[in-house]
Amino acid sequence: MRIVDLLKPEAIRLHQTLADKSEAIERLIDLHASVGNVRDKEVFRAEILKREELGSTAVGDGIAIPHAKSETVAAPGLAAMTVPSGVDYGAPDGKPSDILFMIAAPLDGDLHLEVLSRLMTLLMDEGLRAKLKAAKTPEEFLAAIDDMERERFDEPKAEEKQDGYRVLAVTACPTGIAHTYMAAEALEKAGKAMGYPLKAETNGSAGAKNVLTADEIAACDGIIIAADKSVEMSRFDGKPVLSVSVSDGINKPEELIEKIRSGAVAVYHHTGAKVAVASGQKESFGRQIYKHLMNGVSHMLPFVVAGGIFIALAFLIDTAMGVDPHAAGGAFGTVTPVAAWFKNIGNFAFNLMIPVLAGFIAMSIADRPGFLVGMVGGILATNGATFSDPAAANTIPSGFLGALLASFVAGYLMRGLERLCDRLPRSLEGIKPVLIYPLAGLGIVAVMMCAVNPFMGMINSAMNDGLMWLSARHLDVLLGAIVAGMMAIDMGGPFNKAAYVFGSTVMLGQAASMADPNVAYQIMAAVMIGGMVPPIAIALSTTFFKNRWTAEERKNGVVNYIMGLSFITEGAIPYAASYPLAVIPSCIVGSAVAGALSVVFKCTLMAPHGGIFVFAVVGNWYWYLLALAIGSVVSMLMLALLKKKPKAAA
Amino acid sequence: MVSKTVTVVNSQGFHMRPAAAFAAEMGKFKSHILLESGGKSADGKSLMNIIAACIKCGAEVKVTASGEDEDAALEKAVSMIEAGLGET
Repeated sequence: MRIVDLLKPEAIRLHQTLADKSEAIERLIDLHASVGNVRDKEVFRAEILKREELGSTAVGDGIAIPHAKSETVAAPGLAAMTVPSGVDYGAPDGKPSDILFMIAAPLDGDLHLEVLSRLMTLLMDEGLRAKLKAAKTPEEFLAAIDDMERERFDEPKAEEKQDGYRVLAVTACPTGIAHTYMAAEALEKAGKAMGYPLKAETNGSAGAKNVLTADEIAACDGIIIAADKSVEMSRFDGKPVLSVSVSDGINKPEELIEKIRSGAVAVYHHTGAKVAVASGQKESFGRQIYKHLMNGVSHMLPFVVAGGIFIALAFLIDTAMGVDPHAAGGAFGTVTPVAAWFKNIGNFAFNLMIPVLAGFIAMSIADRPGFLVGMVGGILATNGATFSDPAAANTIPSGFLGALLASFVAGYLMRGLERLCDRLPRSLEGIKPVLIYPLAGLGIVAVMMCAVNPFMGMINSAMNDGLMWLSARHLDVLLGAIVAGMMAIDMGGPFNKAAYVFGSTVMLGQAASMADPNVAYQIMAAVMIGGMVPPIAIALSTTFFKNRWTAEERKNGVVNYIMGLSFITEGAIPYAASYPLAVIPSCIVGSAVAGALSVVFKCTLMAPHGGIFVFAVVGNWYWYLLALAIGSVVSMLMLALLKKKPKAAA
Repeated sequence: MVSKTVTVVNSQGFHMRPAAAFAAEMGKFKSHILLESGGKSADGKSLMNIIAACIKCGAEVKVTASGEDEDAALEKAVSMIEAGLGET
């Protein structure tokens, strides 16, 4: 039992000013609670105060050691403070106390007495007391105790190392959020239980923690690498190294440690230059952005897939029931009750897609406080609320591009806010996550989105005017290419909406500027084809260019065939969000080609929605299919050029 | 100089509160008080010393007193320890 093992750096506060004994007790209890030593602060406080009533725990020479045994103590632990100006703790020698240690001990055993005794043995040394009072950082404070412990209890460094860590481990997983730490914990626990102390370095998303030192590596019996991504290996040259997946580290730590212990592990010989993925290196900014994006996308995918399939089913059912898409118009997919059920349920799932994307991106950036700002930012992006129309009754959504903006800006703002709030008095600690972060976050994201959304509306109406101008001049093929391309730009944002609204209003004859009514139907056909190309192109790419995608992306790619054929452009959003610079341009070009061809082939469409299910009302549908195929293949090929293979580590 | 060996009976041993009481009581005597237990020794008048010696329940403690009131001091020390230092 070493003092330095019981005292975490986070539980040390140096150079504090305290009004009185009760403030000292309060602060020390808070420190214990903040590092998880006590489960119930109230219960623990009662025990501490009960003890103080029996007599002060100040022992003289400026030292006070309040302590309590309690059932609420999760793990034996210490908290410490230095108070240069001292605090009156009722010491037997009447002097103020300037070094405070609080012991939290479990009910059973003599641990309490051992800790107390050991602490006292150390603190009797005047030199140590001076060092502790002078320490500027918790690390200095701990180092002084560590040195004294070695000196007083005959714990030379080399010996400590030897019965310290005989087995080392490195854990890492691609996202570096959960599994990395679960594996490290499992290994350390198993090591402890087997009497074979183990130190695990975690190469997580926050960088490498608990890094193995060269001395430890030299002294250990072997190293367990439980990782699903590459780790810095050159340092293990000449040592027995056991490489397994991170899940093995979680599931069978005993087995792994036993293997190292039995000496049955081959010695690792490092070949080649330094390994590219340096463990201690900070992630590049681009990599961080990508990681945040992926956190959002991976959570969004189920909504897209399930909702999309429900909507496609609705169209299928209406088609099977013989509903005339032209007569049904916008109601197609909700005409028969069963179809309506699928369509509406699917829509509900779909409507959560953007908020979930934004919510989990912001959460990846700013942890829990980011979740609210992301979710609300996402919903504001989908309904397009503004200051003048906060109920979003008649607004233009800023779509998924707006949601991306919301999630990143708000996420980083929240992170800044968290930093700022570190300066608030500690008494406000408790209300930060329940009141300050949510309230400030909601305000920030709402103001931002209401400020951004009107611009989206302006872009929208400007584009509408532009399209009208083109149609008035009978540049039909160009118009077809443009509306189709716009469908692919933001897949639900202002560009997409402008194109779709333009197409459907033209089709419904409300813009009577068309000389030839067939042109209106051709434009609608171009709009729909533009919305069908992106998911199909993605699906084709995951089929024919497998090496460009991760296993998960390939699996979800299949669903995009259905989405694309059903004119559910949103199926492409997860891919566009993950690799915007490759996916969006490819989709725009493919959609534009398909749209232009559709007009050239004089394909017409008299239904505003439905994809392949309304092909019955598509004029020249075989040519339409050809245009769709050509556009999708163009898009796929371009994507193959732009999209690099995923790195092995990703 | 007089000495006697006694066994610590209170379940918590010489933790802070009994140690404080013991040291305070010993402080009233002029004699020097020495506690020896498990290879460690402690000044019986120093709270910190006593705690640092980590004397647990069941431990044998040799109490040594030397000075003009050594007999009274030893008797008081032994009786305190045997009585469980005010605890059970």
